Amino acid sequence: MTDSPDERGAELRDLFFETSQELLQALNEEALKLEKTPGDEEIVRVIRRTVHTLKGDAAACGLRELSELAHQFEDALSLEGAATQAAVAEIAFAAADVFVEMIAAYRSGGKLPSTRSLSKKINDLTAVPAAAKARRTKKTVGKAPAAKTSAARASAKAAALWTEYEKLAMTKAQAAGLAVYHVVVKIDPHCAMPIAGRQLIYNALGGVGQVLAVRPDAKSPAATKQVEFVLATAQTVEQIAAKGRIPTISEEVTVEMMFAPSPAPKQPAEETGFTPETAAEDLLEVEASVVPPLPIAAPGLDPAGTHAVQENILRVEAGRIDNVLNLVGELIIGKSMLQQALIEFSKRYPKELLRSKFADAIAFQARVLNDLQRSVMKIRMVPVEQLFRRFPRMVRDVSRQCGRQVELVVSGHDTDLDKGILDAIGEPLTHLVRNAVSHGIETPEERRKSGKSPQGTIRLNAYHHGNQVVVEVSDDGHGIDAQKIRAKAIELGMTTPEEASRLTEAETLDFIFRPGFSTAEQVTEVSGRGVGMDVVQSVLHRLKASISVETHPGKGTTFRLKLPLTLAIIKALLFWVEQRLYAIPLNAVMEISRTFESEVHQVDNYEVLQLRNQVLPLLRLGRPVPDGDARRSKLFVLVIMVGERKYGLLVDALEGEEELVIKALDDQTFVTDLVSGASILGDGRVVLILNLPAVVEHVARWRPQQTGQSNSGLLLTPMDRVRLALSTNAGGQA
Amino acid sequence: MSRELHIVGFKVGRETYGVPITSLHEIVRVPEITAVPDAPDYLEGVINLRGKIVSVMDLRKRFGEEEAALNRQNRILVVEHGGRLAGLIVDSASEVLKIPSDAVEPPPAVFQDGGLNCVTGLGKVGGRLVVLLDISKLLAPGSLQQVKSEASEKKPAAKPEARGAAAR
Repeated sequence: MTDSPDERGAELRDLFFETSQELLQALNEEALKLEKTPGDEEIVRVIRRTVHTLKGDAAACGLRELSELAHQFEDALSLEGAATQAAVAEIAFAAADVFVEMIAAYRSGGKLPSTRSLSKKINDLTAVPAAAKARRTKKTVGKAPAAKTSAARASAKAAALWTEYEKLAMTKAQAAGLAVYHVVVKIDPHCAMPIAGRQLIYNALGGVGQVLAVRPDAKSPAATKQVEFVLATAQTVEQIAAKGRIPTISEEVTVEMMFAPSPAPKQPAEETGFTPETAAEDLLEVEASVVPPLPIAAPGLDPAGTHAVQENILRVEAGRIDNVLNLVGELIIGKSMLQQALIEFSKRYPKELLRSKFADAIAFQARVLNDLQRSVMKIRMVPVEQLFRRFPRMVRDVSRQCGRQVELVVSGHDTDLDKGILDAIGEPLTHLVRNAVSHGIETPEERRKSGKSPQGTIRLNAYHHGNQVVVEVSDDGHGIDAQKIRAKAIELGMTTPEEASRLTEAETLDFIFRPGFSTAEQVTEVSGRGVGMDVVQSVLHRLKASISVETHPGKGTTFRLKLPLTLAIIKALLFWVEQRLYAIPLNAVMEISRTFESEVHQVDNYEVLQLRNQVLPLLRLGRPVPDGDARRSKLFVLVIMVGERKYGLLVDALEGEEELVIKALDDQTFVTDLVSGASILGDGRVVLILNLPAVVEHVARWRPQQTGQSNSGLLLTPMDRVRLALSTNAGGQA
Repeated sequence: MSRELHIVGFKVGRETYGVPITSLHEIVRVPEITAVPDAPDYLEGVINLRGKIVSVMDLRKRFGEEEAALNRQNRILVVEHGGRLAGLIVDSASEVLKIPSDAVEPPPAVFQDGGLNCVTGLGKVGGRLVVLLDISKLLAPGSLQQVKSEASEKKPAAKPEARGAAAR
């Protein structure tokens, strides 16, 4: 390892940036709770603890401005009476926003945002209880001054070295009955990784007491030579020194008492908000917040921090897992190569005894491979909660902006989903939720008029359904008026009045996903829905996912996203069209059936198939019906489900079912959306995987130019067409 | 002192073309090609190059040669550009040429007007002309679109109309 101190520090910082997201998320969540039950002291305590952790972590990474601001906020919260103020939630939101901005600024190396307005709000918060406290202090004269004078002495002594808030922390710790020590550890000049060593010492000392301050910063050059701590603890000097002495890292440890503990805490505990119990609690947190970096940051380097290895979570870069997943993909190709070889082998030597041994070995390997694949997939799976967490805050903000009263109900947040998919649906889902608040839910007056409770409800739900994950966004608003959409579609020239009158409700609603439909301003006013729905649609296309909408006028609307469990490997059905092999995801196939050409009917240039008692729109992928004689020929029909609708795919022959590892096509060369990827079979053949929503859409968009045309031949190449045209011409002449 | 350019020469029709040897990944025999629907006709499809999916363009069709069936001489030049691989079908891949850089002339302006802006120069080797190609321009998505639209203008029986023609 050749980590320089700088890199080391940068790594710690990166970790902090990552963990801080969770803290800030928690802060937002607690603030939301607090808004619902104002004055709940327990929640305020949780907020304070969160801010405290943030402060500690920020200080450890040398992000001074952030940790000071966090400290100021934490302080304000710990004052008695602060909790009861309604403004706390508001400030917590503001603080979360400012913290996010600051962290972003640290990250990009940009200018820190102004914190003045937040500081002012926090000061306002402290002003009231401070006045109350002043009054009370007068009543308890004779006790407080003792602490005050010792505090004054302390601050004078430490003034040069420690910042305002660190001094405050020392005073508090002292008041809580802990001794405050000044610990100086000289770092061994031969230590290979002084900054990591410094972190180890920090952790070790964190085990004996509460680390109140650290000098110098991890990023300063002096950090590699020695490190100073201010430690509040109940343990003895010897114990501290022993903890600080780590072989090969610390050279010399000096422990000096700064302040003796004040003889029994004199101030009433609730006034300072800092009792030994809370101190102990904080201490645990410091440990928790510092420990996670270690297992990955410095694996195998940790002689002293054995107590720290209780954390079983590894943070691993997504790219590494993808690598493993790719290799598993290659193995699966290898597996089908072996299977292919076995089949050939058994054909050639049907009596060979080795055959069954090979078969056993291959079956065993296949089983292990399945497990391996599932385990690797599981690593990539994360609960949708990670995504859902951001919505309560967003719904609150948006509903305020547009004057709606909205309650968000989230369920199924422990449903697992591939991380890549989760990241990709973030934006579309945000869009849908935002739309549901601003357009789906009516204003409180409108709701009252139509006899609903003024508060609307938006439900976010996720659940597994077969080999898919379904995410639903539903509202109990006024629903979408299909009539208006129909009128608009006609106006925009997307359909004709005759056609429109025949469309089902579901087909009509599909218009909102068409590009160009939603962009016009007046549409949103008329129909109340749809800005950028085509963007939602296009993201979902890319993911091989589908979206459907269900609406009941006056009762509400549900958008349903159906997502694949994973992007990388699918079970597929392989079939032939025009001597070429294609595949479609097996979970889209509802049934496979054989029928006769005579069962195919032409309805308004579209071919449909009567299958038992249902009529299916047909998609003929290959060449069109030859006239006359072949009327009695047999056909293969794959009944597929796209969105909420069934279609029949006419194919030439079936090949079978196989597990495919999806590889992307070079999308700069091929602009088609008909194909979502390719895969390599065991014998080296390349098979194309069709993108069913796009295939269906192609056919739906197709408009016949003249009678007698049919929508067939989607998968024909230009060459096929030329040949076909030649042969039919020749046939006509003959 | 003039530098020498190392060029892989290959034939398309009667002409010799060349690409810098540094952009060449390998030369392979033509394997089974899987056609991709809804693509212009000079994009032959994709091949399996030892586990990688590589798209293949037929340079003969791209350069407007009369359509010729694949035979045993045909090769695929696998070139690397911007981190991705692409295959070019050529009539035959002949040799590595060393051309002094002062024996390379800039392409005539006609080429640029004619939409053949992937030509970087004309090299002279022993009385022969070698047309030097710029791989990145050859494969740039923009140029493909352009050629595609030209192609469909030339042959009106390309996209949706083709379906009609086929149906008749």
